[in-house]
Amino acid sequence: MLVPVFTLKLSHKLVPRTVALGRFDGTHPCLAAATQAGKVTAGGGRQQQGGGAGRSLTASPILLPSGLLNINQAISCLSAGLLRPQPAADCLLVGTATSLLAYDVHDNSELFYREVSDGANAIVLGKLGDITSPLAIIGGNCALQGFDYKGNDLFWTVTGDNVRSLALCDFDGDGKTELLVGSEDFDIRVFKEDEIVAEMSETETVTALSPMYGSRFGYALSNGTVGVYDKTARYWRIKSKNHAMSIHAFDLNSDGVCELITGWSNGKVDARSDRTGEVIFKDNFASSIAGVVEGDYRMDGSTQLICCSVDGEVRGYLPGGEEMKGNLMDTSAEQDLIRELSQKKQNLLLELRNYEENAKAEQNTQLKEADGQRGVIPANTQLQTSLSVNLGSDSQSAHVELCISTTNDTIIRAVLIFAEGIFEGESHVVHPSLQNLSGCVRVPLTPPKDVPVDLHIKAFVGYRNSTQFHVFELTRQLPRFSMYALSSPDSATEPLSFVNCTMNERPQRIVMWLNQSFLLPEDAEFQSAPFQVCFTSLRNAGQLFIKIKSGGEISISTDDIDLAGDIIQSMASFLAIEDLQVEADFPAYFEELKKVLVKVDEHHSVNQRLSADMAEHSNLIRSMLVQAEDARLLGDMKNMKTRYIELYDLNRDLINQYKIRCNNHTELLNNLKAVNQAIQRAGRLRGKYAYWEGTGSPGSH
Amino acid sequence: MELSLARVDYLQVGVTAQKTMRLLPASGRAATQKVVVGDQDGVVTCFGMKKGEPVPVFKTLPGQKIARLELGGALNTPQEKIFVATGSEVRGFTKRGKQFLSFETNLTENIKAMHISGADLFLCASYIYNHYCDCKDKHYYLSGDKINDVLCLPVDKVNSITPVLACQDRLLRVLQGSDLLYEVEVPGPPTVLALNNGNGGDSGEEIVYGTSDGKLGLTQITGSAPVHKWEIGNEKKRGGILCIDSFDIVGDGVKELLIGRDDGVLEIYSFESVDEPVLRYDYALSESIGSVQGGCVGKDGYDEVLASTYSGWLTGLTTEPVHREGGSGEELKLSQEMQSKISSLRNELEHLQMKVLQEREKYQQSSQSSTAVSSVPAFSVNDKFTLNKDDASYSLILEVQTAIDNVLVQSDVPIDLLDVDKNSAVVSFSSCDSEPNSNFLLATYRCQANTTRLELKIRSIEGQYGTLQAYVTPRIQPKTCQVHQYQIKPLSLHQRTHSIDHDRPMNTLMLKGQFSFAEIHSWVVFCLPEVPEKTPAGDSVTFYFQNTFLGTQLESSYRKGEGCFKSDNISTISILKDVLSKEATKRKINLNISYDINEESVRHTLKLIHPKLEYQQLLAKKVHLIDALRELQVHEGNVDFLLPKYRSILEEADQLLEEYKKQPAHLERLYGMITDLFIDKFKFKGTNVKTKVPLLLEMLDGCEQDGLIAFFEAAA
Repeated sequence: MLVPVFTLKLSHKLVPRTVALGRFDGTHPCLAAATQAGKVTAGGGRQQQGGGAGRSLTASPILLPSGLLNINQAISCLSAGLLRPQPAADCLLVGTATSLLAYDVHDNSELFYREVSDGANAIVLGKLGDITSPLAIIGGNCALQGFDYKGNDLFWTVTGDNVRSLALCDFDGDGKTELLVGSEDFDIRVFKEDEIVAEMSETETVTALSPMYGSRFGYALSNGTVGVYDKTARYWRIKSKNHAMSIHAFDLNSDGVCELITGWSNGKVDARSDRTGEVIFKDNFASSIAGVVEGDYRMDGSTQLICCSVDGEVRGYLPGGEEMKGNLMDTSAEQDLIRELSQKKQNLLLELRNYEENAKAEQNTQLKEADGQRGVIPANTQLQTSLSVNLGSDSQSAHVELCISTTNDTIIRAVLIFAEGIFEGESHVVHPSLQNLSGCVRVPLTPPKDVPVDLHIKAFVGYRNSTQFHVFELTRQLPRFSMYALSSPDSATEPLSFVNCTMNERPQRIVMWLNQSFLLPEDAEFQSAPFQVCFTSLRNAGQLFIKIKSGGEISISTDDIDLAGDIIQSMASFLAIEDLQVEADFPAYFEELKKVLVKVDEHHSVNQRLSADMAEHSNLIRSMLVQAEDARLLGDMKNMKTRYIELYDLNRDLINQYKIRCNNHTELLNNLKAVNQAIQRAGRLRGKYAYWEGTGSPGSH
Repeated sequence: MELSLARVDYLQVGVTAQKTMRLLPASGRAATQKVVVGDQDGVVTCFGMKKGEPVPVFKTLPGQKIARLELGGALNTPQEKIFVATGSEVRGFTKRGKQFLSFETNLTENIKAMHISGADLFLCASYIYNHYCDCKDKHYYLSGDKINDVLCLPVDKVNSITPVLACQDRLLRVLQGSDLLYEVEVPGPPTVLALNNGNGGDSGEEIVYGTSDGKLGLTQITGSAPVHKWEIGNEKKRGGILCIDSFDIVGDGVKELLIGRDDGVLEIYSFESVDEPVLRYDYALSESIGSVQGGCVGKDGYDEVLASTYSGWLTGLTTEPVHREGGSGEELKLSQEMQSKISSLRNELEHLQMKVLQEREKYQQSSQSSTAVSSVPAFSVNDKFTLNKDDASYSLILEVQTAIDNVLVQSDVPIDLLDVDKNSAVVSFSSCDSEPNSNFLLATYRCQANTTRLELKIRSIEGQYGTLQAYVTPRIQPKTCQVHQYQIKPLSLHQRTHSIDHDRPMNTLMLKGQFSFAEIHSWVVFCLPEVPEKTPAGDSVTFYFQNTFLGTQLESSYRKGEGCFKSDNISTISILKDVLSKEATKRKINLNISYDINEESVRHTLKLIHPKLEYQQLLAKKVHLIDALRELQVHEGNVDFLLPKYRSILEEADQLLEEYKKQPAHLERLYGMITDLFIDKFKFKGTNVKTKVPLLLEMLDGCEQDGLIAFFEAAA
């Protein structure tokens, strides 16, 4: 069994996901982590930290005597690594909600400090694509920015939602790294410099990404899922009730391939095979894991895996050597295997016995009351499901209806539907009360996003007084655009906004896509151009027109720019179109965008005014303080008191102003997010990156 | 000396019940012992180990479930005759598997517990105890509550037959002939009894008992009164005790105590300080341990502890080191043995798989026919639904012989489902429709592979009653699910006690009407947990209860046509009044309800609650401060500048956090109960004070005891 080669205890509480290992003086490795209330501890290691005494510049950090760096703001991300060409020492990068700081711990000086209005939720250090100097790339409010060691902004682009995780990985195998971005809209996007080359939809906020080797990378979601992707294909994933706090790739069993190491919120650390997700090692900490890093912490020439808990407990593991034969667990693998096989045997024997009993039951085919209780049902019982659009009534809003029914007098006791992304949790249960039991259950579904969803249905079928039920399991796919009901084109007014494009495809194929992606009462058939269908959204009653004109021109009319983008993407991927020229006009949306831009300007000017006020106030404070202290030294208590009261009032004003500033800032952020999203949305209208695969260059656009 | 034991899995039989595995005494030249085990398929299996392979000695044909398996024989000879209890029958087998006895008892119920001593046979059904001598009925006793286990003090030492019954109502009943000698109060419902040291100690009168809430104790059963020797609580919140044995596994000449629990923990206690046992070793198996015994099974010369688990695994914890130092040659042989075992298992599996595939096809075909029926496989679920005294919450434990796929939990009363750290299952709460389907809780537990045991924690609210249902779906084909129901009773947080404090100011509820003793008993069963379902013998009965959360008490005594309920908590009386009148109306029985409210009792109850309230409020405040204080500590480098009270918070931070985590929503529950008390007090006066509740809640934050009492008295 693998045991830690060293353990140590830091005296601080660490903030999860902000642990990094750096050689800040070029040789000695040192653990850096954020503590609560905006400090960075850069302690540990073999050398004593903290060269210079604290400096007193207010805007810049102070290295406390205790080896703490005071940031005075909640730290959202932290990283360490080589950024400068000279000297070859790592620098520390600290991101907060408004700024990014690059810091030289050894010299106790800052390399650069940049205000970033979009914030820094995640940070990654390294080379990106063809950009020669290493960058510190931060992801914030829909925006990505990369800085070199001088603080020059060499890389900037936008993405669909708030960025929560970043990683650098050679995704297409061209020897250059691409940027993986995980965001709050559940997507993992791959950027080849500033262009998106792939996009994978997950089921929850992507909280962590970690390159493994080649094009393989690990990911973690906020619902407790971790898994491994190779390019756009998911290898495996597992879900736990705990949350993955940190993931890292490390070859723990010395087989030459990295395992995915996960630190969990319950203090567990496990290493899983990159191919199967099988656990090859696990250990437990007393509290949640804050971070998992690697490095030669003992300076003996070997690399250790280092895990830190939020309570400051640190354990380092050396990869298992030859003699362990990859067997890192304490119980012997053979024993486990025998146990597993024996369990399988028991299960098979049980199943066999079930069939025997069943055959016995068949001998007397008469159904009796007692049989019903035991769960005997006619063997030809079938479960039928159908999906349809329900336009709703006064008491119920419009929804997609899943109807499940049996074919005879049996009843459905309960229905469990496991599906991702459309329920609050991962499942939805329908359990009618005893008097409402019947052979048919209707389940209203309202998927919040236009994504195809697999519904894994488990229905408990039996009789009214049964204590045992048959479980019917089946899977239905909810089409991507199921929340749009077919309506007659005459009654609806066509939206002003539209997207036009021309495809060299047979219209029949497009109609096929239509049948597959929408819930139509009956399959549409293409007779002749022009062909037109009209839908009404169940969410906001917005109209959607899809027209196919002769000559392959397709026109999609909707006021919802997101929907237009989704339709183009879906169509392009169905028809395997790589590049699509489109013409779009969204007058209403652009009007809105214009308003937002005006607002952004306004907020900027308000911000400036407030800053000016603040500067003025601080001057006042200085003079007042001097006056008050003078008065105190002179023994003029009355005067001193008035001065301090004034100072107090001023302080209150400042706090009020600060609150205004804060509100202003949040609004500004929201507006900026809207702008960033607008750029992203417009990008989605082109069928560019929809289905890109292979190793060659994707070509420029 | 550190005890290090290695786990070896020997064999898997069918699902086993409590106390159904024993080791036969070693005989002849062979030093290793044979194992005999009875399972719920009715099969008795006897096997020995040869070169790491289980070699069967005999195996009987399937039949009814085996409830108990004991060894017997003439006194002062090796106890090597095997007795099993199935249904209402006792069968005897020789160690070679020859049946020499088939004794059909006159019991109408199934046998639940059995003890054998020479020619004396002690059998228990749910409530009935019977003593047979040479299969002739000698004595009979009807117990007041369910009997869990039976034991007889060693006849050769005590010189008389002294049977002891372990009963669900927290009593050990000591009998003499057909009569009760005396009762012994124990701290929890006893589930298993064993003779201390295997022989009852020097006097032969010492017995060890284990309870369903995980406590352990030793009592000396003298001729006139019990003498309590020691008692070990259940600090680590482990499972209930299912089996006890004494064996010297350490080899120091003193027998250790071996304990098997229903959460799969096996413990070894040693007697270092002579009197009190000390926990020496524990090992966690993944499923409940029904029987445990020390002996020598796997290899000559190495002692071990053998345990049988719910799904029928016979697992040994052996003193034989895993990596023997005999050089690599032997190790190689060992792994070869393993390999051949694995490959034979694989072959067997393949064979089975083929057979299953054929059968599956047949099954599929039958579904085409319109006359055929399809039954679902019966699988057994081992479940336990108990109230924990410490945090006044219920725990529901579900255990299945194969891996669980998912569990659906549904409730028609508002309850809280709490997270249990041990569980790895992914919980998902579904939205509920209380109208018209009366669902207040719908949650699914999707279990990880190989989960056979699931533990849930549930918090109920007194006064709100209904049913909790669990639909268990295991990973077997054809897919099936079983529903199990659990009652959430109106006074769900009450627990039976042996005595109450009679000096407290009490409120009284009197019932009079045309109802039978059985009827009123059934109402009490409906309202309160831990009351035997069977109507007690005699004309009247008195039960005492304690509220596990507040510490208030309830005395209920009733007879035909009359019932009297006394409690110092007005809310308890109010709930009883509502439920009882509703039940009586359902049965169209005219009830004459009168009550006597003691004003003093409200003050008394508030005095009882207030310290808890204050403590919890203080705890919440302290916990709130911890992070900020820690930050200060880090910033300043030391804590000398802090006031002593803040310094002490920092010092105790870990304990405080632990305590706070242990009882989530404790404060909210207290607030709720005080509010109920407030409303109920005035309900009896006929005034509705619901409008004043916000005022009450407001003043609860940091208020003095006197202030609270004054508020209760002023509001009207």
